[in-house]
Amino acid sequence: MATGEPGSPTREGMALPQEQAGLCPTDTEGDEPSAGPEEQEELPAPQSNGPLRAADGQGDAQEEPSDKELSDSASTDNTLEDSSEFGRPLGVVACEPGGPLAPPTHRDEDVTAASWRARRKHIFVLSEAGKPIYSRYGNEEALSSTMGVMMALVSFIQSGDNAIRSIYSDDRKLVFVQQGPLVLVSVSRTLQSEQQLRQELLYVYYQILSMLTQVSITRIFERKKNYDLRRLLAGSEKILDRLLNLVELDPGFLLGAVRCLLLPASLRDALGTLLQKAITPNLVFSILVARSQLVTAVQERAVIEECRLEPTDLHLLLNLIGASSAFQAGEIWTPICLPRFNPDGYFYAYISYLDTECTVCLVLLSTDKESFYAVSDCKKRVEEAMRTQGSLQVLSGGLQSPSYGVGQVGVPDLRHFLYKPLDIPENYRQLPQFTSPELEGPYCSEEEQHRLFDLYHYLHSRIHSTSRPLRLIYHVAEKETLLAWVTSKFELYTCFSPLVTKAGAINVLTKLLRWIKKEEDRLFIRYPPKYSTTPNPGKGAKGSRPDGAENGFFAGL
Amino acid sequence: MAAAAGAGQEKQLAPALLSFFIYNPKLGPREGEEEKKILFYHPNEVEKNEKIRNVGLCEAIVQFTRTFSPSKPAKSLHTQKNRQFFNEPEENFWMVMVVRNPVIEKYHKDGKPVIEYREEELLDKVYSSVLRQCYSMYKLFNGTFLKAIEDGGVRVLKERLEKFFHRYLQTLHLQSCDLLDVFCGISFFPLDKMTYLKIQSFINRMEESLNIVKYTAFLYNDQLIWSGLEQDDMRILYKYLTTSLFPRHIEPELAGRDSPIRAEMPGNLQHYGRFLTGPLNLNDPEAKCRFPKIFVNTDGTYEELHLIVYKAMSAAVCFMIDASMQPTLDFCRKLDSIVGPQLTVLASDICEQYNINKRISGSEKEPQFKFIYFNHMNLAEKSTIHMRKTPSVSLTSIHPDLMKILGDINSDFTRVDEDEEIIVKAMSDYWVVGKKSDQRELYVILNQKNANLIEVNEEVKKLCATQFNNIFFLD
Amino acid sequence: MSRGCYLALCARPVQFEKANPVNCVFFDEANKQVFAVRSGGATGVVVKGLEDKNPISFRMEDKGEVKCIKFSLGNKILAVQRTSKSVDFLNFIPDSPQLEYTQECKTKNANILGFCWTSSTEIVFITDQGIEFYQVLPEKRTLKLVKNQNINVNWYMYCPESSVILLSTTVLGNVLQPFYFKGGTMSKLSKFEIELPAVPKSSKLSLSERDIAMATIYGQLYVLYLRHHSRTSNSTGAEVVLYHLPRESSCKKMHILKLNRTGKFALNVVDNLVVVHHQDTETSVIFDIKLKGEFDGTVTLHQLVLPARSIQPYQIPVAGPASVTNQSPVPCKLYSSSWIVFQPDIIISASEGYLWNLEVKLEPVVNLLPDKGKLMDFLLQRKECKMVILSVCSQMLSEPDRGTLAVIATVFDKLNHEYKKYLEAEQSYTMVVETGQSRGNPLLKRPVRTQAVIDQSDMYTHVLSVFTEKKEAPHKFTIAVLMEYIRSLNQFQIAVQHYLYELVIKTLVQHNLFYMLHQFLQYHVLSDSKPLACLLLSLESIYPPAHQLSLDMLKRLSTANDEIVEVLLSKHQVLAALRFIRGVGGHDSVSARKFLDAAKQADDNMLFYTIFRFFEQRNQRLRGNPNFTPGEHCEEHVTFFKQIFGEHALMKPTTF
Repeated sequence: MATGEPGSPTREGMALPQEQAGLCPTDTEGDEPSAGPEEQEELPAPQSNGPLRAADGQGDAQEEPSDKELSDSASTDNTLEDSSEFGRPLGVVACEPGGPLAPPTHRDEDVTAASWRARRKHIFVLSEAGKPIYSRYGNEEALSSTMGVMMALVSFIQSGDNAIRSIYSDDRKLVFVQQGPLVLVSVSRTLQSEQQLRQELLYVYYQILSMLTQVSITRIFERKKNYDLRRLLAGSEKILDRLLNLVELDPGFLLGAVRCLLLPASLRDALGTLLQKAITPNLVFSILVARSQLVTAVQERAVIEECRLEPTDLHLLLNLIGASSAFQAGEIWTPICLPRFNPDGYFYAYISYLDTECTVCLVLLSTDKESFYAVSDCKKRVEEAMRTQGSLQVLSGGLQSPSYGVGQVGVPDLRHFLYKPLDIPENYRQLPQFTSPELEGPYCSEEEQHRLFDLYHYLHSRIHSTSRPLRLIYHVAEKETLLAWVTSKFELYTCFSPLVTKAGAINVLTKLLRWIKKEEDRLFIRYPPKYSTTPNPGKGAKGSRPDGAENGFFAGL
Repeated sequence: MAAAAGAGQEKQLAPALLSFFIYNPKLGPREGEEEKKILFYHPNEVEKNEKIRNVGLCEAIVQFTRTFSPSKPAKSLHTQKNRQFFNEPEENFWMVMVVRNPVIEKYHKDGKPVIEYREEELLDKVYSSVLRQCYSMYKLFNGTFLKAIEDGGVRVLKERLEKFFHRYLQTLHLQSCDLLDVFCGISFFPLDKMTYLKIQSFINRMEESLNIVKYTAFLYNDQLIWSGLEQDDMRILYKYLTTSLFPRHIEPELAGRDSPIRAEMPGNLQHYGRFLTGPLNLNDPEAKCRFPKIFVNTDGTYEELHLIVYKAMSAAVCFMIDASMQPTLDFCRKLDSIVGPQLTVLASDICEQYNINKRISGSEKEPQFKFIYFNHMNLAEKSTIHMRKTPSVSLTSIHPDLMKILGDINSDFTRVDEDEEIIVKAMSDYWVVGKKSDQRELYVILNQKNANLIEVNEEVKKLCATQFNNIFFLD
Repeated sequence: MSRGCYLALCARPVQFEKANPVNCVFFDEANKQVFAVRSGGATGVVVKGLEDKNPISFRMEDKGEVKCIKFSLGNKILAVQRTSKSVDFLNFIPDSPQLEYTQECKTKNANILGFCWTSSTEIVFITDQGIEFYQVLPEKRTLKLVKNQNINVNWYMYCPESSVILLSTTVLGNVLQPFYFKGGTMSKLSKFEIELPAVPKSSKLSLSERDIAMATIYGQLYVLYLRHHSRTSNSTGAEVVLYHLPRESSCKKMHILKLNRTGKFALNVVDNLVVVHHQDTETSVIFDIKLKGEFDGTVTLHQLVLPARSIQPYQIPVAGPASVTNQSPVPCKLYSSSWIVFQPDIIISASEGYLWNLEVKLEPVVNLLPDKGKLMDFLLQRKECKMVILSVCSQMLSEPDRGTLAVIATVFDKLNHEYKKYLEAEQSYTMVVETGQSRGNPLLKRPVRTQAVIDQSDMYTHVLSVFTEKKEAPHKFTIAVLMEYIRSLNQFQIAVQHYLYELVIKTLVQHNLFYMLHQFLQYHVLSDSKPLACLLLSLESIYPPAHQLSLDMLKRLSTANDEIVEVLLSKHQVLAALRFIRGVGGHDSVSARKFLDAAKQADDNMLFYTIFRFFEQRNQRLRGNPNFTPGEHCEEHVTFFKQIFGEHALMKPTTF
């Protein structure tokens, strides 16, 4: 994928204040005596912490701490190491005792043990110098030699004017992805295809970008080949860990679509309008989420002229939020990169939970780092309106019971399904959506869930095979009968009892489609609300948007 | 090699063998003597250090994968430009085959060629089995690697490898490999019980009167009817016979009794028998009685045998005799005089029976579907997709992509050993059905493009009812 | 016993008082009785038959020398010829006049050559001028002439089996006139001429009755003529000429048996073999007209089947218990001049007072007939052949003189040919009986199963199983033989019994020749049967593919659906089992419990869920309610289901 060269944002003179784009890069410039103009612009950086304090009810004292920060950073000699400060907002967050969603870490796992080898899937991230950056299981130090070999293989084959893709053994796939200065490797025993694993690695890469941006990473390694990136990612392993657990079990990642909360259309529209009203300049996205299911999302009209909010970015954003309980307290104002939107630029994310159970979360994205208060005010208005509407109770209340069970479709042979509509109005500028019932019955245990999603992955890879795509797959498998079907109107994956007959399956299918048509308005956002905040804020934000080959993965959208 | 140019200035290059090498890490463990590891390398012209580097890479890959599953190291390496396949047929002996991905050569307006590698085209399973067959075929005619080393050290092994693979690699036609190479099955000749029993007693009597014969195999129309060899040995011998030996001999009986070929061999006008291996003309006292040697039961009794292939009309018999005895010209004459007449009669009996059965089953008209059947239990294989599988080319009657879809389904089947069924509709609107029941696999391609799932299922049911009604094949 | 004597005198002969001046001995061919008439009967007459244990003995007053004495059939009436003019009669019927009565021959000044009974009350007088056919009326003590025929007779001969009398007429005596007696009638058959060796110069009687014999061979009446030297001068030595004498149509010369020797001969017919005794060499030879001879267009020439051998040495049993007289038995003089030979198989030594049946011993033949094919042809025609044939089979399968497969094949084919003939007869018989055509069809009778019918169980028990048991032969040969036998059976379209297949399989398994077995089954050489399928199943542990093979077989049998389900369930292939039974449309009737049990044993929750759901849906479909009825006994499974997937997972009654 084309790594956007660091300078580009500036040259294109994007609307975002340069220092944002340059935020990290400027820090990395530190070791250069002759620092560019950005060097001064370094100051605001720590201020991104300000609101965090404010949220702690020290709003009034906001300026001076930022000064202190400033002086701090000023006082310390400008080595790269200091720039690890950058990570703090996330770092701090992630260091909090893991929230309910925070996965258990396996840092201290013995990498020579059979149990380590037996893992379903390993993920490694390393630098071109072979320096470990991340390992899903076991700590990186212990794995440095292994990662060394990986890098050796990559560069050996590179030296032959060739590129390594993968290694297959009887029971494993080893997939290699090189992104700029980073090498990502997946060692998997799952049924996922090489492409799917590659896509997962890209998710990991993007998650890293969402914290550091592409330019900065490139710069860092330009400066110092064997830089230890873990310094910058300190504490953010949890985010990657959580991502990786999510990727395997949340169809959203597989389908490149977001799951909407089952809601009466009226209520959803009401909330949409509500968000539409609560705006402020430079606000580009307003997203209302309940338990990581999308309630509604409003987009800045001008921005989506350019390009829509990619589900990937939303997934990464939500994962980031979900990864830490810290966000559950008060308001958060943090810079964040939406890599699929623009790998090199930052948005400012305002994150706040609306209910005490922390189920309903409002995310507001602005391009203006200074607009914290304005945005925070938007939130207040939303909250206000919702209270008066009483919709908050409905949302949080509605969440006590699971979204819906497959039983509601009312056909016994049907066990589970994934449905991704392709006929949403203005589909091309919409957030792709999907729906699927709760996992129940035999699929309650985790390994059964893994098994099922392995099968979904397998179906998806076959039907979307780059070389030999298919229209339909009907598979009478060991423990269930599966059907995958792609038409111009939808993409459907169903799981039946293994004893279903073909006629039976067809019958179930018609019933299911009828049911979905009936429930369409509650299952999906049919008419996405928009708003305009500024003449043309989107323009710059678009930046040099990478058109990575992995876009192909979303083929069919 | 180069397939016909596609739309515009587009040229497609089929997959091709880049290199093929055999090494044993234990032979050159110390620094600086890596070259010793290499037992065979093709193409030989490659510069020494290059060879060493490539072998080194393979070792590294294998070692690396062992860190995750010590017992199941790498089988293949995928890169942008090619794929490498690894096989360790004997402990520490590694065979590596490097195949270049198919290439699309596009031409810009300015006439600059743009190379584009098709990375998803090759099916690992197909080429891994091709590599395995390379070994089996070598072993059939040379015995194990280890044996060669015991016989005369590394030098002898290198000689045998050179001698064998130098020719054999020419016959690998990688572009025409497909599912059938995965199965490497045996096509059995359909026959009624009585005729089969006749053949049985023929074989038994031949073995009795030519008592030095150890094993016998009987084929008709290049299809197997009887094998005294164990399954796996027969499998590879069958491949040799049908893809190499038989095609080299045109059928004189096609030319009729008084064909020139007949005339060349006077003396046995009362029968059509002739040797496919060994002496051409028995009346020539100088005639050489050299027969190819083969090695069977290599992981057990390890037997070395002379392979005598004798044919009359469409019936071919393989007599295998212990290598310790040298078949003399007299023996060959005796064989010819005993086997020739009886085999000729038998051959025409079989032909007659076969035609009768054909008429009964009336399998003349072209059906709506094509299929491939394979049974792992007895390696029985049947394909209506392949017109004829010669070494040079396998003429398939369907689009290569459909063949690859079959390959995909096949590898999906190998994941679990439960019964499974997969029905897919390709972008070309062809329906492809794969069924796995117990140890059997059936692949059907239907060209009723606007049929629905249920109609397709009915078609397949019909097929099973006509073709496989005598076996237990779950619906 | 020595050097393969294939002829022997019966062990239990009829013993009678030797002939001497005071005791005359007579033999009646019709009743096969020996009459010992002491001093004309005054001092007693003792009659001994072959069958009857206790001899008849009586006295009659001496009315002069007895020429001939015979009982009518069933010993009703005794006829005694004392003069050349008349025959005296004496009733032996209880409470009927005991006084003798006499019948003179009708023709004036004719001499009675002899008489013979053709039934219990019918008698024929043969005079030098013709024959007279009488009916005897015992209670009236008179005879009634039924029919008579005038014709010059040199001598006569009677064949009781076919009740045909042969009269030698004309000067040379070589024109033979046969008469046939049946149910009180006498019919004249067409006369025929015996070709004499050379046309005699003087016109004197030149065909003696000693050179003629009558006997039924293979159910046909033949006149055997012993021609002392061949007419064709080139070939020396005597020959026996067989004239076939059919009841209707004229007599025809059929066979010539070449004796290749000259001298004194005597003929017997035993077990359809013509036995020719040669007194000079004291040996005998046998001929079998069924065996192939050289056919010249009219007659068939036969050479001897076996080399000449003398009758087995015979010890005369010493009278009385051995304890009393313990001197060793005396060897009997064979071929003595005092021997008289009667048809078909009787030899009498009047001087020593013995009557024997001649017997053919088959065991010695086996070694005298190297050609196994010919041997089989010979044996298959013999009465007591079964055990010998079986022993021949075992012998040719084992060292030292093991036969080649080619020979073995021919033998099997010959046996099965005979076997098949019987089966067909049997079948068509039962067909007729079943279709009720038997009524009004007197000729129809159940085909007799001769010893020549060697069926599969005979072969199995006496030959093949033993042969495979002792494993001395290389397994290759063993299997070849078994296959050869199966081939032969198939060739004659005889259904092969499964124990033969078992034998094959056992042998193959013993030598781990599983691939061979597999190929045989592949070509259905071993025909399908449930027992065979089960046998295969039992092999699965040593040869996994056997499972598939047996399933295939069960499927082909198409009557074994239950078995198939059982097999699948036993392998925890519950889904497969259910799919199968659904495929054959039995899924609404199968026991839910059976499948649920299997699923539970499989210890696979997912599977159990699937099966449970399947039957819930069946209940719904059949009864409109997903719950199980108590009758199905699935309570424990319901509990189990709840306990794993929870109460709510149970299917709710739906309505559509």
